[in-house]
Amino acid sequence: MDSPWDEGHDTTTAFEDLREAEWTKMSEEFTNTGYREGITAGKEASVQEGFNTGFADVGAPLGRDLGLIRGKSSALLSFLLSATSTVLGVSDEEKETLVAEAREIASQLGNIRYSDIEPRDLEAEQHAREHLEAEGQAMEVNEDLEQKKQLESVEDMLSRMSAGENVEGPGRPTMEDVLRLRVRLQALSLHLGFRIDLC
Amino acid sequence: MIGDFDLEALVDLEQTFYETGYEDGFAHGRIHGLIEGRALGRAKGFEMWEELGFYEGFALMWLPIYEKQGRGDDRTMNHTQRLLELIAQFPRINPSETDETDIPKLFRQIRSRYKALCSTLGARPSLRYSDRSQDRDETADATVADAAPDVRPTEKNVWKVEKGSGAAPRAVNGHSFDF
Repeated sequence: MDSPWDEGHDTTTAFEDLREAEWTKMSEEFTNTGYREGITAGKEASVQEGFNTGFADVGAPLGRDLGLIRGKSSALLSFLLSATSTVLGVSDEEKETLVAEAREIASQLGNIRYSDIEPRDLEAEQHAREHLEAEGQAMEVNEDLEQKKQLESVEDMLSRMSAGENVEGPGRPTMEDVLRLRVRLQALSLHLGFRIDLC
Repeated sequence: MIGDFDLEALVDLEQTFYETGYEDGFAHGRIHGLIEGRALGRAKGFEMWEELGFYEGFALMWLPIYEKQGRGDDRTMNHTQRLLELIAQFPRINPSETDETDIPKLFRQIRSRYKALCSTLGARPSLRYSDRSQDRDETADATVADAAPDVRPTEKNVWKVEKGSGAAPRAVNGHSFDF
């Protein structure tokens, strides 16, 4: 039986569909705006906390460790350069060997960059992976830090070019190289009769 | 009447959606802020303490040398001990979080004490802050590569994030600690 409401029923459905669409649009719009502003606020509220943590837990102790052995190697080299072989109680040749070793240690330590020995930030890596999976794009990193990395890779390229190498060199030093240099420095100081605490 | 009611409900709804989004966004933004802050703080802490550690290591190494060699007079011993004392005063945490210490002054004192120690020893100072113009020492810069190859100091502030407070960031030789 024809219902006089049939037509009206269709209209109602269409109206509800429209309302549903409007509802979704409105909710998404406001949720997204809130999300965007929330991200900015959340970031601003926590960046100082992150900075202080990174400074105290990683940056300062790591920098001090490297600085200490660099300073010690520099002092040892200065001493060897200023001392005569008589004072050292060694032959001239042996003194040259000692100076060369001290110079080599200081030079290799001087070549180490923060980025060579920086420990991994596992939480940051994990979050970056989540972004990659969710959006198919990498998480944006701080512009200045990114710039520094690029600058370093240009430096590496230039140093390879000036060394006349077309292939990759031995690569950047690692924390293990730092530890090896520390041992060499300790051996050299002990050889000279200086007991130093190489923490 | 009905129109008024609907409008109010709608505004409430909009607010609810906004707040839900804001909370989720805030949580996500917090993760990003912590990650970025950590990266910047690590780099800054490393830069500052690498320099201070260098001076400390330099002074520490000379102590057993004096002992064994009988080198150095009272003046060098005094410089060494004073340098170590000054470095011991330097905070190991973000210095902008410590109010009582005059960081720029302490940094200047440490650097000049290190240079004084070098000159009494006849050693070439390795200036680890050569891009900071007011302390620039051309002669020393030129000899750095020979004495102890230096890390290249960073070109500019990497941790500076403008804050709405309008407070001027404190600076140590052009470097701010408030990021």
